[in-house]
Amino acid sequence: MTRRRLAITLLGLVVVVLGSLAGNIVAGNEPSLGLDLRGGVSVTQEPVGEFDSESLDLAVERIRERVDSLGVAEPEIIRQGDAIVVNLPGVDNQDDAIELVKVTGEVLLRPVLLAQVVDGLDPTTNGVSTTVAQTPTTTVAQTPSTTDAQTPTTTVAQTPSPTDSSTTLPGGPARPITASSVADSTPTTTTASGLSTTTASGLSTTTAVTETGGPPGTEAPSAEAPVPTGIPDPSDRAATVLAQNADGTEYYQLGPAFATGEVFKGDARADIIGGGWGVRITLRDGATGADLWNLGASRCFVKDTSCPTGRMAIVLDGVVQSAPSVNQPSFTGGVDITGSFAESEAKQLARVLRSGALPVRLQVQAVQAVSPTLGGDSLRAAVISGLIGVGLVLLFMLLYYRSLAVVLIIGLVVSGALQWSVISLLSRTNGLALSLAGVTGIIVSVGVTVDSYVVFFEKLKDELKVGRTLRNSAERGFTSAWRTILAADTVSLLAAATLWWLSVGSVRGFAFFLGLSTLCDLIIAWFFTRPTMLLLARSNFAVGRRILGIGKSVLTPGGSA
Amino acid sequence: MSDDNSSTRRGPLGRLYHGETAIDFYGRRHYGFIVSGALVVITAISLFFSGLELGIDFEGGVAWQVPASPTLDSEVARSVVAQNGVEMANAKVQTLKSGELESIRIQVGDQSSEVRSAVQAALAVAAGVDINEVSVSSVSSSWGRTITEKGVRALVVFLILVSLYIAWRFEWRMALAAIMAMLHDVLISSGIYSLFGLEVTPATVVAFLTILGFSLYDTIVVFDKVKDNMERFSASRTGIADIVNVSMNQVLMRSLNTSLAAVLPVISLLAVGSGVFGAVALREFAVALLVGLLIGSYSSIFVASPLLTVFKERESHFRNLRGLHASGAELEHMVVTGNATGSKKVRRQTEVDTGSSQASPVAPGSPLTHPPRPRKKRRR
Repeated sequence: MTRRRLAITLLGLVVVVLGSLAGNIVAGNEPSLGLDLRGGVSVTQEPVGEFDSESLDLAVERIRERVDSLGVAEPEIIRQGDAIVVNLPGVDNQDDAIELVKVTGEVLLRPVLLAQVVDGLDPTTNGVSTTVAQTPTTTVAQTPSTTDAQTPTTTVAQTPSPTDSSTTLPGGPARPITASSVADSTPTTTTASGLSTTTASGLSTTTAVTETGGPPGTEAPSAEAPVPTGIPDPSDRAATVLAQNADGTEYYQLGPAFATGEVFKGDARADIIGGGWGVRITLRDGATGADLWNLGASRCFVKDTSCPTGRMAIVLDGVVQSAPSVNQPSFTGGVDITGSFAESEAKQLARVLRSGALPVRLQVQAVQAVSPTLGGDSLRAAVISGLIGVGLVLLFMLLYYRSLAVVLIIGLVVSGALQWSVISLLSRTNGLALSLAGVTGIIVSVGVTVDSYVVFFEKLKDELKVGRTLRNSAERGFTSAWRTILAADTVSLLAAATLWWLSVGSVRGFAFFLGLSTLCDLIIAWFFTRPTMLLLARSNFAVGRRILGIGKSVLTPGGSA
Repeated sequence: MSDDNSSTRRGPLGRLYHGETAIDFYGRRHYGFIVSGALVVITAISLFFSGLELGIDFEGGVAWQVPASPTLDSEVARSVVAQNGVEMANAKVQTLKSGELESIRIQVGDQSSEVRSAVQAALAVAAGVDINEVSVSSVSSSWGRTITEKGVRALVVFLILVSLYIAWRFEWRMALAAIMAMLHDVLISSGIYSLFGLEVTPATVVAFLTILGFSLYDTIVVFDKVKDNMERFSASRTGIADIVNVSMNQVLMRSLNTSLAAVLPVISLLAVGSGVFGAVALREFAVALLVGLLIGSYSSIFVASPLLTVFKERESHFRNLRGLHASGAELEHMVVTGNATGSKKVRRQTEVDTGSSQASPVAPGSPLTHPPRPRKKRRR
């Protein structure tokens, strides 16, 4: 190693560390604090019974959507194995929190009693021809292979599409709403802001909707009676509920569900049907499948009072994914849902139907609430006592290793800056939160970093004692110390990796910070300690000094003074 | 102890400081084994009879925490909870001090969400505070089981991986000794928790894992030195007891330094963090860390290395050298010079050379084949 290369290595590290530090400060990244440090509610849910992983993914997406729509600052939604952990900092009412994250994953099939398009939409935006108000955009029809005799014709419109999880805000891109039986909508009663995707609870009352309604051919007697005065729970199958579609362009009043998504087999797939994208799905046989479906379908087909619009809404967690009209009274085997779907919309609908066929039933397993004052106290205490502890260690090192300890202290500072940068960056990009376990891990990791130095310094001492020059000792000492450090750190990394993969909860957070600080230790040892010490050993500075507190007397082995 | 050598004239602390101790760890291995054996037996008895007190995160249950007020002390809190139809037989009511704030924590078995909210509201009324001031934690018992199972599984996988790694990087006997020392740590730590009725929380588990890593790290540093010395002494007829003894003495200062560097922040966490500021969450961590750290330091010196010696003695290479090990001056000579002398040779040498310092600085078998170059005289 030439002096030049060592200097470049050292300089490189300093530049990288200072650069990332400055970058993070300029970008305003800061480590975000975990629940136990700033208060909030954490809810852990786990699926019970049979489920498939796609349904679980969808459930996580739904939770994220709902949490995002509420505007909780820095929510953390983590999948740990099958469990879903939702951390909501700053939320102090745990019942609200539980309500927020409770998604059923259950797809309900409900008759549409009333449908209303939100005003101000430009129907031409998506290139679907919508000249006639009654132009069908989505239909449910028998899968052709099994039904030549049946005529797929009728329909009503729909807002095609569950969009992906990103938008829940009303006023998004306009959708082809055609059917809209409600021409004379009164937007005042259904201001978009009142409606989050979570529930329709924001809608002022039923009456408001019924007034706006008056859809042709719908006397809607059922619409008035069954609506409860309170806020209807969208997961209550027997209730008449209010809902909107995923992008908030259409509102619905929905009757009691006649079936769940479990009438279908889990084989829904997006396909090109009759020239456009649609979804093809197979019905289960028997009383829990085709029979249930046909019961509802026949009612909608004849547009009796329980399904005056003739449309059947596919509802997931209170959000209407699609509301196709039914164009035949009875189905055998397969069902096709067609309309003006984009490919991605069809795929999303297929996904919803697949997960609805085997819904994931989440159960709240753990709820943890930490009051903000308690969290803040813990943080302050941890930081202050941590700093005092580290100060004591440094004082001890300074007494023991004298001037060499300065290298150690600078090394710790560099390591701290590096860790701060990484944690800040990950807080911003991956929603990492620093928990109490993490803080403790970092404080303890100071011990590990100090130990690397101690191992090195002790080896250096050994080499010096045998009578080697400082320069030679530094090189040999580092080589053997590096081997030791590498071996020991590998064990720590193994521990961190195993715990991270296999455990849940706070242990997992701890494992992350253990791994991070161990990596930092290795980086500091190789890129900071090595060049610094080797350069120092060659410089005139160290020559002739009582470095390491070693007197000259021991420099000859076993020799007499 | 001979005094023919300048370095031995230092006091014990000076020798420690200069890495010149000559403690015969091997000769005293039985003390370590007896102490550890006794501790393990006590642990087993305690675990069998009183078991571990697991927190709600492992067993499931509900805990409310409410700020104490003139209208609410722990007795009132207990009755408030009981009025809501909660079984209070196994309930735990604690008063926690966190700085200026005093709060009451009530912990009971698994409850339905209605009961949870009802008690929360009742406690808020009783304390005269806003309902959001009352924090509730609940864990269902099935989730608690899952956490425990996953934790245990992770630990087992970790043990297997680490054994494989040490066996590959060093040798299987070292892996065995290190893992046994680590299990010893786990056992005795949980024994202490069981004996004193301390509650095991996720924080405790995290802290123990830290300690396990740390103790393993410590052990590996010692073993690395042993491996080093085994190569160094390979040409001479030096018994494993000597090699381990020399290695232990050579890294003793480093072990103590490291333990001290780790213990200082923990003591600060305990004394300042939970003592002065009264942060309860910190106390859980700090107590577990301290317990584990002390046991870890103890075991890497008194359990892991002696165990290694016992295992290695069965190897054919070292079998013939059993029973012979250097102590006192001979050991010190090896520690200070880092050179093999061979116990018999040293004995002869010390007999012949007593009082003189003419012994060659380079012993046969040392990787240094020539004496180190004398240091150049420098201008002062």
